[in-house]
Amino acid sequence: MIPGKYRSVSGRATNNVNCGLHLVIQTSSLPEKNKVEFKLHKETPSFPGRLLQHDLERNYSSRQGEHINLVSSSMPSFPILQRSSEEKILYSDRLTLERQKLTVCPIIDGEEHLRLLNFQHNFITRIQNISNLQKLIFLDLYDNQIEEISGLCTLRSLRVLLLGKNRIKKISNLENLKSLDVLDLHGNQITTIENVNHLCDLRVLNLARNLLSHVDNLNGLDSLTELNLRHNQITFVRDVDNLPSLQRLFLSFNNISTFESVCCLADSTSLSDITFDGNPIAQESWYRHTVLQNMMQLRQLDMKRITEEERRMASVIAKKEEEKKRESHKQSLLKEKKRLTINNVARKWDLQQQRVTNIATNQDGKDSDSPSQDPCQVDGSTISAFPEETGSLDSGLSNALQGLSVTDTYLVEVDGDTLSLYGSGALESLDRNWSVQTAGMVTTVSFTFIEFDEIVQVLPKLKIKFPNSLHLKFKETNLVMLQQFNALAQLRRIDQLTVDPQGNPVVSFTLWKYYVLFRLSHFSMQKINGTEVTQNDMIMAERLFGILAHVASSELPQYRLISILGDARKKQFRYLLESKGKKPGIVNEENNDSKRLAGENTNRATLNYTTRDFYNEKLEEIKEKKKFCKTYIEDLVKEATEINMKNEALQKLWPQMFIELVRDAVIEIRNKNSYMKLCLQKITDQK
Amino acid sequence: MATEGAGNLASGSWRVELGSCAGQRMLSSERLALPDYEYLAQRHVLTYMEDAVCQLLENKEDISQYGIARFFTEYFNSVCQGTHILFREFSFIQATPHNRASFLRAFWRCFRTVGKNGDLLTMKEYHCLLQLLCPDFPLELTQKAARIVLMDDAMDCLMSFSDFLLAFQIQFYYSEFLESVAAIYQDLLSGKNPNAVIVPTSSSGQHRQRPTLGEAGMLEGVEASLFSQCLENLCDRHKYSCPPLALVKEVLSNVQRLTFYGFLVALSKHHGINQALGALPDKGDLMHDPAMDEELERLVVRSRLHRTSRQHRAEEPGAFGFQRRDKLEAPERVPSASATTPYPYRWEPRE
Repeated sequence: MIPGKYRSVSGRATNNVNCGLHLVIQTSSLPEKNKVEFKLHKETPSFPGRLLQHDLERNYSSRQGEHINLVSSSMPSFPILQRSSEEKILYSDRLTLERQKLTVCPIIDGEEHLRLLNFQHNFITRIQNISNLQKLIFLDLYDNQIEEISGLCTLRSLRVLLLGKNRIKKISNLENLKSLDVLDLHGNQITTIENVNHLCDLRVLNLARNLLSHVDNLNGLDSLTELNLRHNQITFVRDVDNLPSLQRLFLSFNNISTFESVCCLADSTSLSDITFDGNPIAQESWYRHTVLQNMMQLRQLDMKRITEEERRMASVIAKKEEEKKRESHKQSLLKEKKRLTINNVARKWDLQQQRVTNIATNQDGKDSDSPSQDPCQVDGSTISAFPEETGSLDSGLSNALQGLSVTDTYLVEVDGDTLSLYGSGALESLDRNWSVQTAGMVTTVSFTFIEFDEIVQVLPKLKIKFPNSLHLKFKETNLVMLQQFNALAQLRRIDQLTVDPQGNPVVSFTLWKYYVLFRLSHFSMQKINGTEVTQNDMIMAERLFGILAHVASSELPQYRLISILGDARKKQFRYLLESKGKKPGIVNEENNDSKRLAGENTNRATLNYTTRDFYNEKLEEIKEKKKFCKTYIEDLVKEATEINMKNEALQKLWPQMFIELVRDAVIEIRNKNSYMKLCLQKITDQK
Repeated sequence: MATEGAGNLASGSWRVELGSCAGQRMLSSERLALPDYEYLAQRHVLTYMEDAVCQLLENKEDISQYGIARFFTEYFNSVCQGTHILFREFSFIQATPHNRASFLRAFWRCFRTVGKNGDLLTMKEYHCLLQLLCPDFPLELTQKAARIVLMDDAMDCLMSFSDFLLAFQIQFYYSEFLESVAAIYQDLLSGKNPNAVIVPTSSSGQHRQRPTLGEAGMLEGVEASLFSQCLENLCDRHKYSCPPLALVKEVLSNVQRLTFYGFLVALSKHHGINQALGALPDKGDLMHDPAMDEELERLVVRSRLHRTSRQHRAEEPGAFGFQRRDKLEAPERVPSASATTPYPYRWEPRE
């Protein structure tokens, strides 16, 4: 406490003030004294009785006390102070009332010329009765019991105000003290710095031993050169870079633990002396060089002069650290970029899903009750999965990221043996020329935020480019139907399949695993969603779906087999067709072998998956054909029925016609002779 | 050639669709009454002829290799067997009653094992199974069927296979009929008599009627006898297939009042209707299909062998590919191959 008080007073600035004060007193002592004396003479007659009535407090032990009569006035119960005239002449502009056990400020009468007033070490609770001392320059109320700053609004020329060791809770009522030079508020109970922004001439501010938790709101203090904040509970410092003249800042014994919380200090150009001792930060190994590196203008740190050598060391260490930081920054930048990209992809995916479900709802049209729940569900799950984590970013990083435009709609990442694809755009990367090594190394391919139908289209590419991929992962791929798994059968091999329930409703089905095992049984899969596949699982799968496969393969008419199986498979299936064409029972071994060449159970190949778009296209095509067939058959049938009708009509007519014909013939040949003649005539005519 | 096919078909199709001596009578009498073309259209012969030509067009290269006559034989044979609807588009599957019945039967045969296993599934999962057989099967129909089972609430509840199948049968086979019934039911519920001719001036009389109906509304549903009357009317003029009227009346005669879903549940549980429809066995025999079970056992044994042999091979270093299978399986294939005879089963609608 004592250093607090005396530091401010013994500082260079304070010395100057004292000198200045002294000077003023010397030069203006004579005329002032005359004036005061004149005033005194004028006013004494008005209080003659009171002076004698109340001399309760007498014989003060102060330096000047012997010559002062302090008298309490009756009405307001304030003591009234009067000095002897010699006293007044001797100390015309100063009055010291140290250790007078005063509980209130006495009324100081006839001393309007006073420039210095000292109330140190009393028990004053309220600043009163000094508003008439308008010449006052120096007011010392150190070690009293003042609870509020008040009663100072008329003291416009006050330059030094010492209120140390009081009970002040709030800085206030300093509005008119525009020329204040030194303000000492140490040892009070102040919690925030406020109402000081107008003190543009203030050079020394002492707030040591208060209850400050942070420092800010300092703008306007343009002349402040020394700021004492020792022994508070400060955790962070702001605004110090707004103090253009600040040279000395004392932050010892506070609660500062990171350099980031005081980083504004680095921006101050005037600061030359600073203390941090007694803070957690001072215990850190990086403390000294970090401070030095960040505050090049500093000449003293914790009362120790900074040597050139020290500065050099600091800069070397800082450089190293900077490099390290830059590296990690780069790393985290990349990581952040990845995260943002994934978020971006996720957002797009959500939008797309919303749209898809909306379309579905529209299509469903009439029964709007059940599908309407779906969008919300989709929404909820994805939001919870991608919480905004910007809070965890340090400020520097986020600044850097703002410059980084994250418009990427997809992400491709190869990490060890895993190829991760985010967003449908990522599928195009399969067209890239992957190095043989990379391609060979990849055994796990993970798809996220990609429509399964789109994945299906690139599966043949995947098979070629990443021949060793054994483990497929699907997350947010909109797997909704069992039949979609059919598409995976075309791959070369799958050992493991992981389908994340998120964004893949199919996983909620009890049968999906068995269906996968059944349909992809030719891969002899080891694991599904991380669980080992057992022999029993396989048998169960066969029991559940074996008949489907059997029906599909054995009961499908040939022409359907052909149309269902793609061109690529036709060759393999010619064998099957041939064997089917042959009589049953004589299927020989050769045939069996060739069937197995197909790689997968032939009876399962008919269970395939065409993507929705493609299927719709096909349906369109079929519709066209149907239209044609309809008219064609219509024409044919009409023609046929017409012919049939004519035929029937003819059949009806024919017997009658025949009879008529015969009758005509009979009539003609009834007269044999004349008929013979006629015939002969004809023959001769011909010749 | 097409007319020739039509001739074949006509006889094939009556067997499938009518399948009774009454059909025979109808054949002679109706054939005389209707012009040929209408007759063929009404008997759905044209549908199949069109589809046959369509299929032919689709695979003309391949089919021309093994003979167009062969193709038509196979096509119409598969129509008779009911295997023609496997993996076909929905518009075709629902085109004729025979196709619908065939689809129902195919669904039952293929997924009977699921029900046998005792799994209870959700509506969505059943829908997935349906989509395995018909990729564009509409969700709406499955939802409606599920509504019958679950009595219109709690749509994501689990259902047993047989419950779903029987409800689905009614919904799918009689879907147009049910729509009309629903309309009638709504009319009855709101106090209109769909049979009565509504004269605009009689609206005041309707208004008077409503409060009493509101009281009656406390008892749920509509009065069975009135409903039955309306349905009789409907069956007479309905051009789509309806359940036999006698059976519908039987269903309605057991109760005083009933709700729409109550009616549907009763229909779906009525074994006479199931029999008349003829696609599925009786409810008690739904899990029963010895021929297929036998086949399945064979398949399971084979898959087990297949897997063990594969694992065995995988452990052998240097053995690669699928070049050669163990002969063990060969004898086993023979009987199963005999099961893959061109026409392994025939089912005829019940009489």
